Amino acid sequence: MNELNLIVAGHAGQGLQVISRTLGRLLVRAGYYVFVSQDVMSRIRGGHNSARVRVSTRPRAADGDKAEILIALDPALVARYVADLAPDAVVVTDVAGDLPEGLNAVRLPLVDLAREHGRDPVMVNAVAVGATLALVGLELTGLADLFAREFARKGEDVVRRNMAAAEAGHRAVVEDMKRSCPYKLATPEPGDRLLISGAEALALGAIAANVRVVTGYPMSPATPIVEYCFRHAQEAGLIVEQTEDEVSAANLAIGAAFAGARAMTCTAGGGFCLMNEALSLAGMTETPLVFCVGMRPGPATGMATRTAQADVLFAIYAGHGEFPRAVLTPADAGQAFQAAQDAFRIAEKFQTPVIILFDQFMADALWTVERNELRVDNRQGRQERQVPGAERTDGQENRQERQERQVPEGAKAYTYRRYEMNQSGVSPRLLPGTPQQLVYADSDEHTEAGHITESAAMRVQMVDKRNAKTAGIRQELTEPKVEVKVEVEPEAEAEDETLVFCFGSSRGVVAEAVARLRRKGRKVAMVHLGHVWPFPAEAVAALAAKSQKVVTVEQNFSGQLAQLLLQECGLRVAGTVRRYDGRQFAVAEVEAGLEELVGGKAG
Amino acid sequence: MRTVLDMKSWSSPAEVTWCPGCGNFGILNALKAALVAAKLEPWQVVVVGGIGQSGKVAQYVGANFLHGLHGRALPHALGVKLANPELKVIAVGGDGDMYGEGGNHLLHAFRRNLDIVCLVHNNGVYGLTKGQAAPTSGPGFATKNRPMGTLVPAFNPLAAGLAMGGSFIARGFAGDIKHLTRLIGDALQHKGFGFIDILQPCVSFNHVNTFAWYRERVYDLAFEGHNSLDPDAARARALEWPVESGDARIPTGIIYRAQRAPYESCGRPGKPVVRLKSDFGAVKRALKDFE
Repeated sequence: MNELNLIVAGHAGQGLQVISRTLGRLLVRAGYYVFVSQDVMSRIRGGHNSARVRVSTRPRAADGDKAEILIALDPALVARYVADLAPDAVVVTDVAGDLPEGLNAVRLPLVDLAREHGRDPVMVNAVAVGATLALVGLELTGLADLFAREFARKGEDVVRRNMAAAEAGHRAVVEDMKRSCPYKLATPEPGDRLLISGAEALALGAIAANVRVVTGYPMSPATPIVEYCFRHAQEAGLIVEQTEDEVSAANLAIGAAFAGARAMTCTAGGGFCLMNEALSLAGMTETPLVFCVGMRPGPATGMATRTAQADVLFAIYAGHGEFPRAVLTPADAGQAFQAAQDAFRIAEKFQTPVIILFDQFMADALWTVERNELRVDNRQGRQERQVPGAERTDGQENRQERQERQVPEGAKAYTYRRYEMNQSGVSPRLLPGTPQQLVYADSDEHTEAGHITESAAMRVQMVDKRNAKTAGIRQELTEPKVEVKVEVEPEAEAEDETLVFCFGSSRGVVAEAVARLRRKGRKVAMVHLGHVWPFPAEAVAALAAKSQKVVTVEQNFSGQLAQLLLQECGLRVAGTVRRYDGRQFAVAEVEAGLEELVGGKAG
Repeated sequence: MRTVLDMKSWSSPAEVTWCPGCGNFGILNALKAALVAAKLEPWQVVVVGGIGQSGKVAQYVGANFLHGLHGRALPHALGVKLANPELKVIAVGGDGDMYGEGGNHLLHAFRRNLDIVCLVHNNGVYGLTKGQAAPTSGPGFATKNRPMGTLVPAFNPLAAGLAMGGSFIARGFAGDIKHLTRLIGDALQHKGFGFIDILQPCVSFNHVNTFAWYRERVYDLAFEGHNSLDPDAARARALEWPVESGDARIPTGIIYRAQRAPYESCGRPGKPVVRLKSDFGAVKRALKDFE
């Protein structure tokens, strides 16, 4: 078969992430496309967590329908997942405890094997890794290497014992089962691929874009981004600060950006509320700054570890006053890596804040990405040129972005004007510390030099100047297009009767649902919006003009994307497939929802 | 070409909009005099201002400035200094800025011990919003929002600073420019968080704590054998004023100082991060973790 779906379930604290990550990496190395989604309760211990692992010979960006294998570290958890299992699914679980009737169960002494071979019941996760690999017909090749990386900080003994536990699990399945697993995966096309979470890809994209200062106050789902940066601070030359609150996180980043460091602050919707004043300040002082904002269900604390897409309108309108911004909505790890680089490029080039608005699902899922998809974009203007004494080492830099940096030849001492008027709205930028020049950044309405003013005429000029940047930002962003990449053709036909709009991590789910509908003969296609501000109104209107019906799929109550389509393009949607229970859409659910909206069978 | 730096080198074209006779003038002049004495050039200095009459100092000093938000001068200063430790950073705000809106930042600033100077214009009242009580308004101080007088004791920044492990804690008086200039000079030289609470008479809205009122009460710790390295002596002086009731003498000068590694030097990249060049290899190496 071309595809296999696994569910790994256990209690919080049992190391489930190690299982899904390790299995995932080994399967990717074996040439498969792996997609892992996490279902985590907001507890430290005591809740039950699970991960879904989809293994396929084709790229996948959504959970599969039903699972063929369930690995439950505790039999008591099995009943919760029975409805998610395929009819003849294999259930691997411990010998101790009762199971529901009629299951194809493989009872193994998981905990005893962990005690015996790993000398610690906590190694039950390693036993499970070994057992699962045996089930899908894979050897343990490469596992020692992965464990060594995973447990590097815990010492060699821990690595060795985990390996022994995994071997015991593998042996137990091979020897005791004899009957082979009914599922045999087809041989995949080999490739150079990586398994990476959306949060890791975002952080790495920022590092690729030369970020130097990263701030945050812990809040799910943004925490993994900051943690990744913490781990790589030394090697990548970053300053990573966990501040006393989000207010400080955002304002610290503004200070750093004013001084010339590329800066990013990371939070979730609730923390972003606290950062709104700083967002507005970045707009007013024309300070380049990247906000990474994770969406989880609100209002208020909502559901801390769950997913949502309900902060789109908030992100677009956050902060008092009017100023230009971009709001990017990446779909997956590959797009997140690129979005981070786009965000820094746009922030730097237009001296204004950029928001990367991601959903929890995107951040926590593990995505299979072609290595060459994670390319460093050398359109990034180099920051270091602005500071006196900075080394000049290469010629890779884009000239267009560099022009603003130097003191003009023959400039008189102390004559620099930070907010000098020009058509684009982007003034040449110097940094504080430039000899014989002063840089003023002012939160008050200001003159071209940067001094406080109450002049009515200057106020109008400055408002116009700042907002003139939106036109430039618009040109910097990739226009959306019709795509159904995952299953059928790379580009759908123009005469599709129904066009489905989505943003963020829904892309994978919607693409698969749309592909299924197309196989059923329905005329439907998908457009994913990788940015929602400045809204790509012209491109969207042009695409919509070729279709008869426009619908949206979004994870919120009020249909925020549908509202934007109406507001920005005058498009009235025929319907919206919505979900707001904190869980990601399922493909079958979107398929059914769209089928209803698409209506009448195709001829 | 280097010119001789004097008070005129530290001038700004911005129009000064304080009330005539305002205590802020004394602070501005003391700051400029201290910068001249420190032989700094305007482009080497960043003044980060809060919002209020005090924060406008940022616009009037004649250095680089980030005139930001009410209460947020310290986070801004932290960002500037971490990104480029070669800049001399001075955060200026009022009692509302630093003790009210930004109180949390101040507590953590003492802990962090960033190598910056923090000047707080403490006039015991909100000036720019026209006369409401401040965290430092004295007991019984009647205002528009508390006509019967404030209901809670005044915030004691010096005691708070000591409790938070501050490494340079001082009090100045806007009416004694010479003394204040020396204090700011000491704070500029101090390797760490140089904190000065400055008693600043507000001629428009505080008719209790006037220049004359302060002059009757302030004294210079330097003349009373205070050992600023002794935490116990520092605590006693920090608690001497403000007191709940009755009159007290008001100590000025350095209450406490200690040597502690400044924050920006702890486990940081070897040179200012604004100078680091991009390292594409770092990304390629990091990708190996995802194989």
